[in-house]
Amino acid sequence: MKVKEYVKAKSLEEAYSLLKANPLNRVVGGGLWLKKGNMDLNMLIDLSGLGLDKIEEKDGFIEIGALVTLREVEKSELLQEAFHSLVSKAAGLVMGPAFRNIATIGGSVAGKLAFSDVITALLACNASLRFYPSGEKSLEEYLKEPGLSKEILTHIIVKQCHRLSFYKRVGLTELDYPIISVAITHCVKHDKYTVAVGSRAGVAALAEDVMKALEAGERDFEKVAKEVLKMKFNDSLASKAEYRAHLAEVYVRRGLEEVSK
Amino acid sequence: MLVKFKLNGLDVKYDIEPGEFLLDTLKEDVKSLKKGCDGSACGVCTVLLDGKPVLSCSLLTAKCDGHEITTVEGIQDVAEKVAECFGKEGADQCGYCNSAFALIIYALSKEYKNPTDEEIKRFLVGNLCRCTGYQSQFLAVKRYLGGLK
Repeated sequence: MKVKEYVKAKSLEEAYSLLKANPLNRVVGGGLWLKKGNMDLNMLIDLSGLGLDKIEEKDGFIEIGALVTLREVEKSELLQEAFHSLVSKAAGLVMGPAFRNIATIGGSVAGKLAFSDVITALLACNASLRFYPSGEKSLEEYLKEPGLSKEILTHIIVKQCHRLSFYKRVGLTELDYPIISVAITHCVKHDKYTVAVGSRAGVAALAEDVMKALEAGERDFEKVAKEVLKMKFNDSLASKAEYRAHLAEVYVRRGLEEVSK
Repeated sequence: MLVKFKLNGLDVKYDIEPGEFLLDTLKEDVKSLKKGCDGSACGVCTVLLDGKPVLSCSLLTAKCDGHEITTVEGIQDVAEKVAECFGKEGADQCGYCNSAFALIIYALSKEYKNPTDEEIKRFLVGNLCRCTGYQSQFLAVKRYLGGLK
């Protein structure tokens, strides 16, 4: 990979201005995907001096800076308390610590990585994203938009919430991309479920038909789980769509049972 | 572009390409560094960045400016003890993964006071070995950690 220039931005304004200046300019998070992408670039814009590497509590929400590494997400006490540690648990399943000490949560989310464990988990937490300069939108909304954002992701925001949670990823090996991931949260107080399925060989999405059935009061989880088959699953080298769908059905059922105990 | 950092306690500077990765920068000077998969998967290129394990094949050298890098040359005492434990458990054969294992085990001992078996396995999961099947290495790690108490 050839890069002409590397700039450490002094402000978000400067970073955004540089990003817009050339379609081959990129903001760099951990940089892990640069090698895999193997694309020659004009400029890499480093945001590491801009305070985006913190996890902070603000008014009942947890704001995770985009440059927080997956290892920091995994070890964060704040995130271990929220959603029964759904997000920190999902982050901790990604590769080994040497990988997670480089990979950033912002890089995973902004890139809409289809196999991302943290995206699936954050979706089940109804996370929102803050972009510079346009402001906040839900992760769900961002994932439905075509393509990637041309703005700078600065924060991922989740509510401080004690919903019960379930996470399952299935991979051919520990270090392989998952062939399916399921994240479920259950707000016991309002009896509300949020169900997300990732690694469909497609970016994670909410299992809307499953959630509709639960919203309508259906609690036969075997029946409810079949609604996940209405999602789109794709073939890939790792797995056939049919197998992915079958796994999703099984783990949605098991997840619902677990968070309903 | 010029990048300055500490390497095993010594100040160094390198004139690098902006898109260069640390493994390629250091490989000629640091004999212990190995290029395995060169794709973030095998762990054989592990070094420590400010004491934390990272994959040098996937870390941009530019990001190391102002930081501290440690290779196995910088933890020789620890490496010798780890090697002794590996020897006693039959935990190495070709030796290609050993430098990385010494560093990851050192990092484990710094992060966890009394790691459980599960914590040990999860910490080492990103370091592959083609030869041993991992059980002897796991026992070697336990022997090493036991020796620290």
